[in-house]
Amino acid sequence: MAEHRLDCYGEACPIPLLKAEKKMKTLAVGDTLVVLTDHSCAMKNVPDWARKQGYDVDLEETGDGEWEIYIIKNH
Amino acid sequence: MSSETREATGINYRKLFKDPWPYWLGGLLLGFLNILMFTTTGSPWGVTTAFAHWAAWIYQAVGGSVSNWAFYQGANGKALAAGFWSNAQSIQNLGIILGALLATLLASQFKFKKIKHWRQVVAALVGGVLMGYGARIAFGCNIGAFFSGTASMSLHGWVYTLFIFLGAYLGSKLLVRYLL
Repeated sequence: MAEHRLDCYGEACPIPLLKAEKKMKTLAVGDTLVVLTDHSCAMKNVPDWARKQGYDVDLEETGDGEWEIYIIKNH
Repeated sequence: MSSETREATGINYRKLFKDPWPYWLGGLLLGFLNILMFTTTGSPWGVTTAFAHWAAWIYQAVGGSVSNWAFYQGANGKALAAGFWSNAQSIQNLGIILGALLATLLASQFKFKKIKHWRQVVAALVGGVLMGYGARIAFGCNIGAFFSGTASMSLHGWVYTLFIFLGAYLGSKLLVRYLL
């Protein structure tokens, strides 16, 4: 049930999405990936991708133009 | 205001200014606005021709001359002589920049982003030069050549579309190789 944080601040599309996809493969079932981003497109396309995979997703606005995307690897 | 109304207003503000709009709505609006622009100014939406003018104005301001350049014979030369405030595309570009700033401020999402790696700087500069040069020799960018070109049923728009896919495929390979 570990939590992995992926720092994508300062990175534009599609890098946060590609990094999240790559990192997700290394996680064990039950682990959570937290993607940190300040790119508004990633705040849409990363959750869209994760939901399509059937993962549980939560999006939190942590500051002005900053988000944390929680993705639980549930399968 | 009752707490219920305040809550409802909060949700509406959020939906309107903070949450991303669906792609189909953005597409409809872009199509509608391009028709409006075409009927009012006589030419469809474009972006990068004005950038060439901006560079030429700067070049002239420091003493350069572009009057014998092939690009600045004819209509482009006239646009250049008329100046910034008579150039509809320049004003539109200014509007895009100010509108984007307004949108990000209304959403409380304004942020100065850090440069994370020198490779980002190199990629941005090389990419910018390639896009600028490409946009001139292709008669437009993905707005002028693709969006307005295909909407005008112009063949060059469709040729552009084919090659932008090839370019994007190649570019994504480079991106994964050097930036990921």
